[in-house]
Amino acid sequence: MRLRERIAERVAGWARRRQGDEQLPLELQSRRLYILPTRFGLGIGALLLIMMLAGLNYANSLALLLTFTVGSVVLASMHECHRTLRGLIVAEATVGECFAGGTGWLELQLQNSAAAPRRSLRLRSAGGAAVGLDLPSAADVSAKLAVAAQQRGRQALPRLELASTAPFGLFRAWTWLHLGSSFIVYPAPLGRRTLPERSGGRSGLGSPQGAGEHEWVALRRFQTGDSPQRVAWKLVARGAPPMVAQYAGDPGDRHVLRYNELPHLSTEERLSQLALWVLECERRGESYSLQLPHLSLPLGCGARQRRAALEALALFVAA
Amino acid sequence: MPSTPPTLPPTAAVLPAAMALALAALSVATTANLQHLAWWCLPLCLLAVGWRLSVGRHLRRLPGRAVRLILVALLTLTVIVNLRSLSGLAVWATLLVAMCTAKLLEARTPRDWYLLCGAALYLLLAACLDREQLWRLPIYVAGLWLVIGALHGLGSGGGAPPALELLRRAGRSLLLALPLALVLFVCFPRLPGAFWALPTTEQAVTGLGDEMSPGSISRLFESDEPAFRVRFDDALPPPEQRYWRGPVLHDFDGYTWRRRGGGFNGAPELQYLGPAYHYQITLEPNDHNTIIALEMPDSPSLPFTYFTGDEQLIATRPSGAARNYTLTSYPLARNSAPLSVAARQIDLALPANRNPRSLALALTLRRDASSDQEYVAAVIRYLRAGGFHYTLTPPRLSLNSVDDFLFDTREGFCGHFASAFATLMRAGGVPARVVTGYQGGEWNRFGQYLSVRQSQAHAWTEVWLEPRGWVRIDPTAIVAPQRLTSGIFDLLGSALSPTERILREAPWIGNLIAGWEALSAWWQDDVVGFGFLRQMNLLERLGLNSADWRALPALLAAGGSLWLLWMLWILRHEWRSAAPDRLARAWLRLGAKLAHAGLGRHANEGPLAYGERCAAQRPLLAESLRALARQYAELRYGPPSATAKVRAFARAVREFRIA
Repeated sequence: MRLRERIAERVAGWARRRQGDEQLPLELQSRRLYILPTRFGLGIGALLLIMMLAGLNYANSLALLLTFTVGSVVLASMHECHRTLRGLIVAEATVGECFAGGTGWLELQLQNSAAAPRRSLRLRSAGGAAVGLDLPSAADVSAKLAVAAQQRGRQALPRLELASTAPFGLFRAWTWLHLGSSFIVYPAPLGRRTLPERSGGRSGLGSPQGAGEHEWVALRRFQTGDSPQRVAWKLVARGAPPMVAQYAGDPGDRHVLRYNELPHLSTEERLSQLALWVLECERRGESYSLQLPHLSLPLGCGARQRRAALEALALFVAA
Repeated sequence: MPSTPPTLPPTAAVLPAAMALALAALSVATTANLQHLAWWCLPLCLLAVGWRLSVGRHLRRLPGRAVRLILVALLTLTVIVNLRSLSGLAVWATLLVAMCTAKLLEARTPRDWYLLCGAALYLLLAACLDREQLWRLPIYVAGLWLVIGALHGLGSGGGAPPALELLRRAGRSLLLALPLALVLFVCFPRLPGAFWALPTTEQAVTGLGDEMSPGSISRLFESDEPAFRVRFDDALPPPEQRYWRGPVLHDFDGYTWRRRGGGFNGAPELQYLGPAYHYQITLEPNDHNTIIALEMPDSPSLPFTYFTGDEQLIATRPSGAARNYTLTSYPLARNSAPLSVAARQIDLALPANRNPRSLALALTLRRDASSDQEYVAAVIRYLRAGGFHYTLTPPRLSLNSVDDFLFDTREGFCGHFASAFATLMRAGGVPARVVTGYQGGEWNRFGQYLSVRQSQAHAWTEVWLEPRGWVRIDPTAIVAPQRLTSGIFDLLGSALSPTERILREAPWIGNLIAGWEALSAWWQDDVVGFGFLRQMNLLERLGLNSADWRALPALLAAGGSLWLLWMLWILRHEWRSAAPDRLARAWLRLGAKLAHAGLGRHANEGPLAYGERCAAQRPLLAESLRALARQYAELRYGPPSATAKVRAFARAVREFRIA
């Protein structure tokens, strides 16, 4: 078993050197497609050999005709198997939001421009997760594959293997995709859920103190992550697109999340706590700013703010 | 007996349609082996298949390990018990069917079903090895088709295609593979002989046998099956010379004529006179080991065959398959070598105490004849004038069969006449023997060959006349001369069965049968019979030196490459880029019009966003642009809509103008 794994590793390394990193979109060509019989393929090969020997020995034409027909069907299936991958376009690979210790979902956009369907595809990451796919003719399909997110920070995409065993499962054609890109793993959100003390006055981040407590100053488009409590439902009821009220002068929904205010925790624990707070603020739909030793994020709320904050935490490098 | 219900790993799901096809394939493959399997195989297999189909996907209902083990043990025991009555190939086939039946009780994973598909293929192979008739071809093709369909089902991924779709794919696979299979069939080097042989099966086929008892038969010629086919190189011999020599019978006990084990060693000394006929015979399987030949064959150089002193061609190896051989014959040849004392004794022997009235008759006739020739003529006269009738439904005779025939019943077929004539000859001191074989043959114009059926089996006599040697005398021809020139049905108009009458009144049915027989003959000769020699002949006809071993691989490579090109071209055609549909074409057209006006679509822009941007830049066209974009988005991403709507959209795009 260990020998087998070592050989597989060497072969994979050779393929990587041979192919280099992929540039998406990528159309699969013969040069990068590999094909081998499966164990069932080897089995039927042995069966065909026996059948041919029997036919030759007894000079039995019908037995030979049967053998040659099955053999030809198998041989044609090899070409079909190869053809199932050839010309397939890998358009895009993106990884959704993921936190350390959790699972990221790699989404691979596959395009089949051919008039024939591409069946029995199987996408597998080097980590082990696999997913089966069937691409109808002339269709785009996105495949989602679980990728283990180990630690925060940039993580290279694992080597992917896109394989097909169509049409009989007797041959397996595959290609390795070395997507050069990486994805960002956010720190695991851990710690206490209660947000730090309101800090409007001390922060000095300039909130208009004179304005009324719950006076909204603007409406903006709803974005994913906005709190439903802030949606202007009355407007929605009148047929307008969902809008979110932005209030001014509400000290309760402004938080400054400071790295330096958590001295009793280690670096990773601090980052985890800050990540939890970011998520908590977003959940409540309250504005927050983030203060890291070398970076400070201005006050804000919404998907963009959230991503900026979590990325900053993920890529934080202790001084 | 308690058994824990087996659990199924979640990934190992086999498509129900694939299972159904594999089960059907197994049933067909078992049916194809029906003729040599133990009798319980097919019922058992069908029972297991039906049970498995009824269980469906409820795998928890599969029996436990203990039950399966007991079943396997029982089946193996049954095969062992049956061992004696089965031939070599059939033992393996029977065992395979038994094991497949047991496997059906536990088949879950794809591996199990792949195994069953392999077993079905192997059973088909066993059937092919055993029988090769043309009418079986549909069974074999159906079995193969089902196996390929099951393989398609096993290999299909997420989708769950129905059985019909799997069969369609299998048909396509077969068509794609057929040309290569034919190239391989023609060009793959064959072996001149077997390198390992299983004992062949004994087969009983109606027709000629090792003995002849005319008195025991009350209805003859029930078989209308072809006995052999003859292709002549040049002209055909005239009908009265079409005597096909088979087993020669010497020993007579008053009731039954039998062949003789030995006593006629050494080739006959024939004088080959008259015209020669070159021909090729395809002899159907039979249970006499005689090579049928037109009288009298040239001493042939056939493998595993010897020529006896009484001009029989004997095969040293029995064969369950059809034989194919080429001979040259001289119908007017003579055997005038002196008759040895031993041979004369054999061909004069008559049982004592049997047929006394016939012996008395012979003595009377002999007394009046001055020579052997005159005696023969007297007996012929007696038969001609004696009021004898030719019939296929003669009465049964006692142990004094010749007496009964000559003096009481006076009706019979060729066997009766030959038996009686030979008896009279021997009683009169003229050595005589009965020759069985076939007489006549009908021309198949579709296949350009002479077809001889079992119903044309015939018996005649040969008498030894000094100085001419052995002379053929056909007593049947003396009594019913039409028997030789016309078909048996013409002679017996009144005795026709209903089917025979239909055949005579509707000649197209006869044509159909002749056509089918010609097709079968072609199958037998050119497909089944395509062996080492035919392959060499083919090479020579192609102008290649058959002794050159490179010729076949070169042909194989050339044919294989042609097939590869053809198949890749087909695949390329099938996998070509899909033509954009009408909707997409219309949308592209709109995009082209707008791009002409400097409003090209951005790569990441959806239809609605694109429409909005264009509307903003061209306020005059805003309404129609938004409408078109909305329409397209609805048609493309909404629920499937009528073609009329797509057509309307295409028209709207066509009429759209940017002023």
